[in-house]
Amino acid sequence: MSAVAISTRTSSGRMQLVNVRQRMLHIAKWRLLLVAGGFAALAVASTARLAYLGVDGDAPAALSMAEALRPPRAEITDRHGVPLARALPTFALWFDARPMDGDPALVKSPQELARELMQIFPDENYDNLVSVLSAGKSAYIRHRVLPEEADKVQALGEAALQFPKEEERFYPQGTMAAFVLGYVDRNGNGLIGMEQVLDARLKDPAMRGQPVALSIDARVQGALEDELAKQIAASNAKGGGGIVLDVETGEVLAFASGPSFDPNRPSVLDANGSGLMHNVMTGQNYELGSVFKPLTVAAAIDAGLITDIAKRWPAGAQMVIAGRPVHDHKSYGSSLNVPEALIHSSNIVLAQIGEALGPQALSANLKSLGFFEKPYLELPGRRNPQLPREWSNITTTRVAFGHGISLTPLHLASAYAAMVNGGIWRPATLMKLSPDKAPQGRRVFKASTSARMRQLLRLIVSIGTGRKADAAGYRVGGKTGTAEIADEFGYHKDRVVSTFAAAFPMDAPRYVVVTTMVEPKATAATSGQRTAGYTAAPVIGKLIPRIGPLLGVMPDDGRDIDLTDLAPLVASGDGE
Amino acid sequence: MIVTRSRLQKIGWAAILTVCFAMLVALTFRVNAVKSEVRLIERKLVSVQQQKELLKTEFQTRASQRKLTALNDFEFGFKAPTPGQYLESERQLASLGKARAADAPAPIMVASAAREEESSFPALVNPLSGRAEASEVKPEKPRRVATTAGNLGARLSQVSATKRDTIHE
Repeated sequence: MSAVAISTRTSSGRMQLVNVRQRMLHIAKWRLLLVAGGFAALAVASTARLAYLGVDGDAPAALSMAEALRPPRAEITDRHGVPLARALPTFALWFDARPMDGDPALVKSPQELARELMQIFPDENYDNLVSVLSAGKSAYIRHRVLPEEADKVQALGEAALQFPKEEERFYPQGTMAAFVLGYVDRNGNGLIGMEQVLDARLKDPAMRGQPVALSIDARVQGALEDELAKQIAASNAKGGGGIVLDVETGEVLAFASGPSFDPNRPSVLDANGSGLMHNVMTGQNYELGSVFKPLTVAAAIDAGLITDIAKRWPAGAQMVIAGRPVHDHKSYGSSLNVPEALIHSSNIVLAQIGEALGPQALSANLKSLGFFEKPYLELPGRRNPQLPREWSNITTTRVAFGHGISLTPLHLASAYAAMVNGGIWRPATLMKLSPDKAPQGRRVFKASTSARMRQLLRLIVSIGTGRKADAAGYRVGGKTGTAEIADEFGYHKDRVVSTFAAAFPMDAPRYVVVTTMVEPKATAATSGQRTAGYTAAPVIGKLIPRIGPLLGVMPDDGRDIDLTDLAPLVASGDGE
Repeated sequence: MIVTRSRLQKIGWAAILTVCFAMLVALTFRVNAVKSEVRLIERKLVSVQQQKELLKTEFQTRASQRKLTALNDFEFGFKAPTPGQYLESERQLASLGKARAADAPAPIMVASAAREEESSFPALVNPLSGRAEASEVKPEKPRRVATTAGNLGARLSQVSATKRDTIHE
């Protein structure tokens, strides 16, 4: 009985076991199915995703090539397409001061790291580096890092030193044409030169791909800057400037001012920019002195006052004109005709011509030459001229020989262009003009006046004070001018501004060249002189043979402007 | 199982449709693969173009006006040509080859003798061909003869022949 009982117990236990087993199997099957289902869903999802990626085309960022290559700021080129300013992708060195997993950002001490960085960048300041690295704030350590320098910094093993990519503005020609171009500050804004003037155009996404062509010719600009720098050094001058202007269109082919600055170093410029950026050609007024005299003569010829060029005017060492004494450098005889007066640069004769011309006629003429307003050019920071307060007889006689009126050398260049090109005044421009876009300009002088002035200017260079500018074969004409600098303390005998305004070739003028030297000293290189004939004229004498052939003016010894009617009127002479 | 004709047709259509759809999917995949490749190549082109621009900038910087002037000042010393070095017209050019006038002085002739040049210096290696200078076959130097109207044409053709050789090299 008990055995049966036992067996019954056993069989019921077995039944239970079978039930449990079945249930567990069931659960296991369900679980398996669930997992398989999960995998299947995953497989379907991945296939769908694959199919989507395969069918939909936008997987790699679709960017047109033109879009990718478009610079962040348009390129600036010279008139022949030589890039003067362009975008340059560079690395910067950035210190990320965020702590790493609770540890400080730097592995080494700031001092040690600064010492190592100094070995890679010897021009850095050690104290500055230490203060940046120990300040605990993320900051730039340096901009414009070369790839090889970046490699060396990487080798220092500091993860906190990073190299973000940057688009920098780069000027391949270095300091060349710095005053024309200006520079771009850290915020990407153009400053000073054409970078400022054309800022909106250069940044415009629609036009960024197209470079902007300036009227500058890089070769001419290079030659002008080279000759100017040599002469500034030779004459120990405080500064100097020069301009080459196309007389037919007003395009500026070269525009230089020294001492210059390096637009590739915006950080230096941001710190003490204004001290480095004194633009001699447009940013400062000077009493230009004798270079003014041909303009007075032209006004007098134009007004019909000088009909006989051989007419003799009273002269001497001193003469009272309009109630005030006027002096000449020395006495060149009791009388002079107009060509002689220009060759000897006689203040006395010019004052008489001014007096005869009268305030109204002279001032009207100067006004039409653009002397009563800022000089015409795109550059910012142009100076207003300083004019006489009233046009009396006395002021007219002074202005007639270049005193009592302060102008920028650019005013003068535009006026000389009008004087030699047949009498049409045109505004100067730094933008390249297509041949059909040359401004019409306004007539200031008669064509006959212009022809006579060409002869007179050529005479001054061939036998007068401008002989050092007489580049063989280029038929140069022009006028010297040396004036004492005036300020609130009056005239300074020891500080002068010497200017030479020239044009070439005089038989068919194409270019005006003006050079100005600020406070040149009498040195051995200038034959112990500081007048324009020895300081400003030699620049032109050396520059024109360098730029003439580049500009399509070939030298020819057998060709010159006809001076046969003037030659008998003058003996050779000196003056200023 | 008996399959009727219309049922068979349906299956056939379905099969054709399936095959077409599969081919369409395959083609789409292929097209997109090619598109991606094109894009990758475009990216490469952009990067190469950027490198090119960078190199151009480097060349421009190295060949800036200031550096060229400095190089000329210290290395070559070239000066601006004088008016005498320019010829204005064909007429001026032709006058150089004119026959000597009856009373003109005889042209100066400079005599020169050919020398066997033996040098103690090691032979210079041409960086282009990689061979020693001495082993290079040099074109025979034309002898200097005073130019007259008669031989001007011959001399000019000689110069152009030498130039042609240089270009071919």
